Amino acid sequence: MTLRKTLSSAVRGFGISLLVVVAGFPVYWLFTTATHTTAELFGGQVQWLPDLRRFLTSFTSATSGVPMLRWLSNSAVVAFGTTFLSLIIAILAAYALSRYRFRGKGVFGFALFATQMLPEALLVVPLYSIFLTFGLLDNLTGLVLSDTAFAMPVAVWILKSAMDGVSLEIEESARVDGCPRYAMLTQIMLPLIAPSIAAAAVITFFEGWNEYLFANTFITDEQKWPASKGLASFIGEFVTPLNHVMAAALMFTLPAIVFFLFVQRRIVSGLTAGSVKG
Amino acid sequence: MKERVDVTDVGTPTRTTPRALGTTPRGQRGRRLAPYLFIAAAAVYLLLLTGAPLLDGLWLSLTDTQLLNPTEGAFIGIHNYSSLFADAEFAHALVVTIVYSTATVLGSLTVGTVAAVAMNGAFRGRVLARAILTFPWAVPSVAAVLIFSWIYNKDSGVLNQALSSVGLAQHGWLVDPTWSLFAVTLASVWKVFPFVMLVVLAALQAVPEELYEAARVDGADAFNRFRTVALPFLLPTLRVTALLMTIWSFRRFEIIWLLTQGGPVGSTNSLVISVYREAFVNSELGRSAAMGVVGLVLSTIVTVIFFYVDRGAARKEAL
Repeated sequence: MTLRKTLSSAVRGFGISLLVVVAGFPVYWLFTTATHTTAELFGGQVQWLPDLRRFLTSFTSATSGVPMLRWLSNSAVVAFGTTFLSLIIAILAAYALSRYRFRGKGVFGFALFATQMLPEALLVVPLYSIFLTFGLLDNLTGLVLSDTAFAMPVAVWILKSAMDGVSLEIEESARVDGCPRYAMLTQIMLPLIAPSIAAAAVITFFEGWNEYLFANTFITDEQKWPASKGLASFIGEFVTPLNHVMAAALMFTLPAIVFFLFVQRRIVSGLTAGSVKG
Repeated sequence: MKERVDVTDVGTPTRTTPRALGTTPRGQRGRRLAPYLFIAAAAVYLLLLTGAPLLDGLWLSLTDTQLLNPTEGAFIGIHNYSSLFADAEFAHALVVTIVYSTATVLGSLTVGTVAAVAMNGAFRGRVLARAILTFPWAVPSVAAVLIFSWIYNKDSGVLNQALSSVGLAQHGWLVDPTWSLFAVTLASVWKVFPFVMLVVLAALQAVPEELYEAARVDGADAFNRFRTVALPFLLPTLRVTALLMTIWSFRRFEIIWLLTQGGPVGSTNSLVISVYREAFVNSELGRSAAMGVVGLVLSTIVTVIFFYVDRGAARKEAL
């Protein structure tokens, strides 16, 4: 019995280590590659460990040859815009879905879910002609608008499932205390679901931060590229040294990792909860 | 029989069922209007930014519109569709899509569930391990592609170097049509499995501890405890997750496009890649839109099947 126990815990330990290595290795590799010169990288010898002395120089040279900082700040503009627009729209819609019964609720919920089935590759051409008409091409506002179309429904799910968790009695007692109906959402509900708002904010932020297809199609001016398009331009291009590319990719990745770690759980419960009921 | 687990209740096991506020007699008219005011912005937004382009796409698919002359397309009926179904390349793209999606969904469900079960118990370093296991999900797709194309690099990539150091054969992971779809699928599974893990982990925490105890007393080993105790609880969650994973796989663009552009020789050319190439490389907007519509129909069919299965399973469990 004890032997079996030791054996099963050894198997378990091995399995966990394997998973951690497989999941973490590419990120480790991104970091390690960023700290080696191309001569070392292509010299036929695998550089397993990062060269920490070269850490800072890689970063500074990654930002010198290309407008990487400019691209990152463009990404930040798109990401903040997407977050702001998505949250305002989503908070209102989520409140209706959570607190009211109304005709058309099912259709509305389905329309939200349907956005997850739409291939962006199908919408990109019609959106291009719409944006052309309204002068939104080569314009970061246009990207905010198209990214919000995909980010906002996800925010609605997260917020709706959080609002469902708030007991109705709280709102009822607030009403008895004289809180006007229109203030119910802003003064009672929103403070109670603040953590989920943060989760929705992070996920919408990174929808804008990571998005590539629309950015690639709508933005041609290199000064206006977001970092996703800027980084993708290094693929298949052999002028920029690989370690600089990797350092740039690391700068693009780190904020995402840090933010996601904080809010992962709430995102998940919202996504699965909302996708069915809408 | 046991009560059916509410699929929509993942992660919020203690939530109260909301009663609609609009049922009180006071201020009937305002109550009835209020929800529509609340959803107005979202509804208008969806109509303009997804509804209108979708209709436009449907219309485009019935025309012979070219990229360089986008306003001069003529109505040609279902010609694009009939030409697609006579096209062997398009049939191949459908096969690639189905193989890629099936492999990605099964792979990520398996790895994600195993990871969730492993993370569910207590052990030292659990918080750190869990954080690392969520990394792939957080890494932006474009960055993930940069890393993987370097790892897969034929001559200097770490994968081939490691394989040859243990005496295994090297492969041109992204340039050899035998391996390219496998390599793309592997990168995709790496990217999406943490989502499954987090969802299943949340669901596992809702499994009553007494049931595990009872199974342990009955002498069931770890695998059987999982199969008989946890799995029935997980099934509804797994079904929803499988649905999301499938429709996301159908439309996944960046990872495939940036790793291989659908090549070599069409071996990773999925439906969305064809849609994009037909529009922006071959300039055939009409034909591209028709392909996109076929993809959308596929996703819809899958969604309907999933809901049907879900309801069937619910009925069976309720008996």
